[in-house]
Amino acid sequence: MNRADLDRVAGVLLARLPRAADVISDIAAMEREGREFVCHWTEVIALSSEELAAHFIASAPQAFRTLDERAVEDWIIEAMDAFDRHGLGAGIEVFDALPVFAARRAGTQASCTLESVAGFLRYFVRGLGGRALTIARDPLAHTDSERIFLPPTLAVADAHDINARLYKATAVYLWAQNRYGTWQQRALETALRVLDAITTWPVFRKLEAVRLGACLARDLPGLARDMASVGFAHAEEAAAWAHFSAEAASLTEPGATAHDSLALVERFATRTLPEEPRYTGGMRPDKVREVLMARVPREKAALQRALGALERELAPRDEDVEADASVAAEPANRFTLEESVDGANRDVGLQYDGEQVPLDADLQALLASIMQDLGELGDDYLEPGTGDAPYSGDAEAGGTPGTAPAEVTGGHVHVYPEWDYTRERFREAFCALTEHTVPDGSDEFMIATETKYRGLAKSIRRVFEAILSEAQRQRRQPHGDELDLDALVDAHVDFVQGHEMSDRLYTHLHKAGRDVAVMFMVDMSGSTKGWVNDAEREAMLLLAEAVETLGDAFAIYGFSGRTNKRCEVYRVKTFDEPYSLAVRRRISGMSPKAYTRMGVAIRHLGALLAAVPARTRLLVTLSDGKPEDYGSYRGRYGIEDTRHALLEVRRAGIHPFCITIDREAPAYLPHMVGTANYTVVDEVQKLPYKVADIYRRLTT
Amino acid sequence: MLHEDSAAERMIVDEPYYEPLGNECDVFAAAVANQLPILLKGPTGCGKTRFVHHMAWRLRRPLVTVACHDDLTAADLVGRYLVKGGETQWIDGPLTHAVRLGAICYLDEIVEARKDTTVIIHPLCDDRRVLPIDKRGELLPVPREFALVISYNPGYQSVLKDLKQSTRQRFVALEFDYPAAEVEQKIVRTESGIDDQTAHRLVRFGVHTRNLKGSGLDEGASTRLLVNAAKLIATGIVPTVACDTAVAHALTDDPELLHAIHELANAVF
Repeated sequence: MNRADLDRVAGVLLARLPRAADVISDIAAMEREGREFVCHWTEVIALSSEELAAHFIASAPQAFRTLDERAVEDWIIEAMDAFDRHGLGAGIEVFDALPVFAARRAGTQASCTLESVAGFLRYFVRGLGGRALTIARDPLAHTDSERIFLPPTLAVADAHDINARLYKATAVYLWAQNRYGTWQQRALETALRVLDAITTWPVFRKLEAVRLGACLARDLPGLARDMASVGFAHAEEAAAWAHFSAEAASLTEPGATAHDSLALVERFATRTLPEEPRYTGGMRPDKVREVLMARVPREKAALQRALGALERELAPRDEDVEADASVAAEPANRFTLEESVDGANRDVGLQYDGEQVPLDADLQALLASIMQDLGELGDDYLEPGTGDAPYSGDAEAGGTPGTAPAEVTGGHVHVYPEWDYTRERFREAFCALTEHTVPDGSDEFMIATETKYRGLAKSIRRVFEAILSEAQRQRRQPHGDELDLDALVDAHVDFVQGHEMSDRLYTHLHKAGRDVAVMFMVDMSGSTKGWVNDAEREAMLLLAEAVETLGDAFAIYGFSGRTNKRCEVYRVKTFDEPYSLAVRRRISGMSPKAYTRMGVAIRHLGALLAAVPARTRLLVTLSDGKPEDYGSYRGRYGIEDTRHALLEVRRAGIHPFCITIDREAPAYLPHMVGTANYTVVDEVQKLPYKVADIYRRLTT
Repeated sequence: MLHEDSAAERMIVDEPYYEPLGNECDVFAAAVANQLPILLKGPTGCGKTRFVHHMAWRLRRPLVTVACHDDLTAADLVGRYLVKGGETQWIDGPLTHAVRLGAICYLDEIVEARKDTTVIIHPLCDDRRVLPIDKRGELLPVPREFALVISYNPGYQSVLKDLKQSTRQRFVALEFDYPAAEVEQKIVRTESGIDDQTAHRLVRFGVHTRNLKGSGLDEGASTRLLVNAAKLIATGIVPTVACDTAVAHALTDDPELLHAIHELANAVF
């Protein structure tokens, strides 16, 4: 590549820069690979924004002097992510702040990302027990008593392994704050009252670190050893901390609580205290309080409701009705609680009139969570409520005041990443998808279809019923691939006893019972308007009938949308819903909408399908052409994102299959879905005739 | 007949170790005395089979155990004609055999068997107390000593693996769960011979894995798995390795879960 090429690629962009000539000569002076790299990425970035590309090219020579190629790439991706999320200004800021990135980069060779450990940590913390805590991301490591917040990357130590262990240690420590009562309601209220955020909270934090360290050492000795080994970078620090711990030895006794730590704060308040272990993180008592205030009344109500339901269940067992009446007159509480603690595990038992009551997992978790907040239960907690609704975790999940607004309003907006082949990376949280229900269509269309295809529907049903009857291993067959020994012996017995012998002596081996779930994903883009949409609806009506005959679990969704911010899927039939007239009306009601942003729909519907328990899961897409959307989602970009989404669902154990009426499809479909995974129906009118046949081939 | 002396063979001579969790031994004995069939519910590896062995020993009854599988038919349980030297000969199935012996018949994981087996279980379980043998046109009266015990794991949440109401309502049901920590510790220690502290830690580890039930694991570590790990430890395997091999890999293949369980083992030892 020569200078002229460079001028051509960058000319337009550089016109925006004051020092264009300097930049060009800087780039021209670079090695060939470097120049090509810069040109390639300039083109890619320019697809998103030319302004952004100009800022990139201006800093590129400098970047190549300070960073290696891999780091430059990460720098570019960070800028483009910032651009995607927060707009042009944010993207430019990253490009312009190269020294900041370079400095951070120098420290990240050894760094560990939360992403790489989050999956493991979630299971690990869950396994430790107590209230189910989730892992979330925040620059300050802390907990709000329902979530454990950890920084996105950790580069405290200069070895990757230590950073990874520090992640674990931090998560465990924050779990311990919840488990060993740092955030118990009474202690928290006292602490908020008597402590001062600047001067005395840090003292309390350090004293709690001593107490929790001892709790962990007692209950999880192996873990405590591991945590101790990464807690401090230098032996002197560790020694200073050990000295401090010894001074506060009363906190290391079994049974010490957060109140004991609070009581000691005054004694240590005026002294200079050593640094606490690196895994301690911070404290956000205000945040904990907010979450706690929402949870405590919610769980109290839930418990009373659950006990009410339990009592109604238990009460009829009382044999003596009169005695029952006298008890009812007494206000005495018939529920009592029993707690046994073994190490980090806490077991809560409930008794009714002195008899152990079996607890389901939900109620057990609820009781454990309440005990974690309160330490003990007030009597009013065990009074059964009169509400009719039994306790259900789902009912508690949203809608109550105090839950994070994102959880309340965000229920219907699903956020998905999108694969950008030019960057060879995901654009994180790029697509916002919403679900809608298809309005009922006209009965005329439904009836017309039924009349038009009456013969076809009948033959489809016959074929599918045949599939159903043969879908087992059949014994006592006149023909087959193996002898049926039972039948043979019986026949011989008949023969010896002088009865007539049967000739049904074979077993016929067939595939085991059907266990198929299928998601039909129907293109509702604007281009289907007219006979394509008609054919799709007709085909779906016939197919739904056939699949219903087979007894396979199935769902039907349409998809369309305009831009990444408004991706939409249209519910026609969910997996739980029975096939009914309402579903047929909705199939008739599917109408052309906007564009075909396929990747995000596949990700969403694939996730719904993956949640269905079935041995075979099929994702069948019915479309009329290439993925295409307003903006950049066209041509290769759309195909590559769709391809990637299909690969993702395949990894989740789903077989994707595309049925299309696009005659150009053979040019791109083999690449997009794989050679054996699509079929092209060359005439739209044939679609209704073909789909059932295709489905039969797919599932037998 | 084949079973002249097999009653003696099917007697359990040495006491099988069993740690009672509640009053299940008394209930079992009372149900048998009243000719009531018994349904044992509970997760895998919590001691259902061991309990039946123990009770057979305690009640001094022969025990016939059938592990049910999805190809087990009613004929497999009742019996069939075979041909021997040109003559037909009737061979009792294990259920008929148990009835003739007046034994305890234990049908393990009954929901795995074919649906037609329930047809022969029903008349055995109610006040008719007969075993119909269709092929011989015989109604075998059931002796007082015979007892039917079936087991079933309600944890499989498949509609195909559920027990029908008409079947389950004929039984006295005993519910089993993993024993309380001290009891489980005693069981692990007694079964394997490891020291008290190691048993204690193993049981704690077991509870940690059970916390993962529903969030990754279908089932936590059963008492049986903990005993297996304890036996490995007793023969000199390092505890964390024993937990990995006997428990973690037996529970899951998911790498992140394996990592988490491995770290949980590290945490308690």
